[in-house]
Amino acid sequence: MEKKKVVLGVIGSDAHAVGNKILDYSLTNAGYEVVNIGVLSPQEDFINAAIETNADAIFVSSLYGHGEIDCKGLREKCNEAGLNDILLYVGGNIVVGKQDWDDVKKRFLDMGFDRVYPPGTAAEVGIKDLTEDLSKRG
Amino acid sequence: MNLKNKRLSDEAFFKEREEVLAGWPTGKEVDLQEAVDYLKKVPDEKNFAKALELAKRKGITLAQPRAGVPLIDKHIELLNHLSKEGGADLLPSTIDAYSRQNRYDECQVGIDESLKEGRAMMNGFPAVNHGVKGCRQVYESIDKPVQARHGTPDSRLLAEVIHAGGWTSNEGGGISYNVPYAKSVSIEKSLSDWMYCDRLVGFYAEQGIEINREPFGPLTGTLVPPSMAIVTGVIEALLAAEQGVKSITVGYGQCGNLVQDVAAIRALEELTEQYLKEYGYNDVVVTTVFHQWMGGFPEDESKAFGVISFGTATAALAGATKVIVKTPHEAIGIPTKEANAAGIKATKMVLNLLEGQRLPMSKELETEIEIIKAEVKCIMDKTFELGSGDLAVGTVKAFEAGVIDIPFAPSNYNAGKVMPARDNNGAVRYYMTGNIPFTKDIIDFNQSKLGERSEFEKRELSFQMTIDDIFAVGKGKLIGRP
Repeated sequence: MEKKKVVLGVIGSDAHAVGNKILDYSLTNAGYEVVNIGVLSPQEDFINAAIETNADAIFVSSLYGHGEIDCKGLREKCNEAGLNDILLYVGGNIVVGKQDWDDVKKRFLDMGFDRVYPPGTAAEVGIKDLTEDLSKRG
Repeated sequence: MNLKNKRLSDEAFFKEREEVLAGWPTGKEVDLQEAVDYLKKVPDEKNFAKALELAKRKGITLAQPRAGVPLIDKHIELLNHLSKEGGADLLPSTIDAYSRQNRYDECQVGIDESLKEGRAMMNGFPAVNHGVKGCRQVYESIDKPVQARHGTPDSRLLAEVIHAGGWTSNEGGGISYNVPYAKSVSIEKSLSDWMYCDRLVGFYAEQGIEINREPFGPLTGTLVPPSMAIVTGVIEALLAAEQGVKSITVGYGQCGNLVQDVAAIRALEELTEQYLKEYGYNDVVVTTVFHQWMGGFPEDESKAFGVISFGTATAALAGATKVIVKTPHEAIGIPTKEANAAGIKATKMVLNLLEGQRLPMSKELETEIEIIKAEVKCIMDKTFELGSGDLAVGTVKAFEAGVIDIPFAPSNYNAGKVMPARDNNGAVRYYMTGNIPFTKDIIDFNQSKLGERSEFEKRELSFQMTIDDIFAVGKGKLIGRP
């Protein structure tokens, strides 16, 4: 069976590389093909990588607090590019400061993300959800 | 390569300067002569370099938080809270991440959105956008020295604006603000851009104005072995001194083993002074900064205070001139001003209790200092050799060759072949040494230390061990045991 593909990157002007390297390692270990566009990646790079590789999901990381500005419009741009049903996950420290998590989660779900993760989520949690979400799609 | 470790000529500097100041409209506000007059009026107690020098003489450790919000009035409120309520000795202005990439138009969006939403939509103070006027407004509204802290590979315009704005210290350097913070900026470019920043400080020094410079010691903040951090500090100190900088604070981020951390600060200070003297820079004041744990924090605030206090104790016992303070919100993200002040209070309490105490020399401490110095020497010797004696050229080539290789760095110019892990006492060792030209003795030492852990945990050395170490402190332990 062909491996499922995940585009992985850290969005915007964010240089946090550690989680990115660990997610890459963990996803690869779990049997996924990882297209890692690395840190400091604009929305366009995620989309282009997903189109070029025919990816099944995009994992967006944001650790520096600008996540809300950086992620705005990503789902719409994916749709415009023809990536209509691609899975969009986001996680990290995605807003500035200690905010009510339910509010934050809702804001990002409303933006069109399929899964939203709070700070400190283990890579395995996202991978388990991904496997489930993909199996639902068959 | 045009790069050379040589003081920029006035002609070259002022020519480059025209281009730098044209980078954003606020550049026009910077008038060097007027700035010199303004900075001459900065009283000693608000001068960063002088405050550090005094602390070094007294043998005390100063506490400095990190903090920055997008709007000027809120930023002033924040800094005053940290000074008055928290008791900070030195103040920061953390610069937002868009400014760090020189995206000043995006900063404007962040400022506008923050005004509209009524909350901070950016992670720092966009100093270039606020300009000399905005920076002076901050400087004039606070009672302590202030420094820019950021992560900007090209900080030239920022340096111009902040120093003219009365901020008497700038953190960063051609390695430490590139390799951990950027993906595609060449080492040659960032070294050259930071030579400009250093030359600007050198220019002010020649006018009798002391401005401090601080290489960013923790680098990626992720299990960076002491010798790799010290190499970058020594190199950046030498490059800064060549441009005329007279006050340099070299840094190091806590790894977590008390003896290794104390050894690192001692080796850092001794080696920096030794290399500066050896290369003829005899009038540089060297101070040190110890960063409380830079990795993942426990979410529980009481546990976070434990991490903060332990780091402070290490800084004091090592005899660092300054400690950079974390907050109980570290696991969540950017702290509130109250949480930030709470971190400073905990830090100051420990500093007060340990004032004057030092970790005495022991066999173990001596061994750690020796191994760090031996590792640094291998890398420094090879770096000078690769540059045929020119340190700037050597540094570019050392990165190309993987002789200098910083773990977990995002830069494409970093080899990324070095992997660290903790030994059985929590000290950070080289698990994979990549292309670092270590002697066999050094490699054997690192391997045998890691072997002890491997045997204790009954598992092979692997990247999994490193990952476990990265998450360990957040989960309440130093070493990531299975």
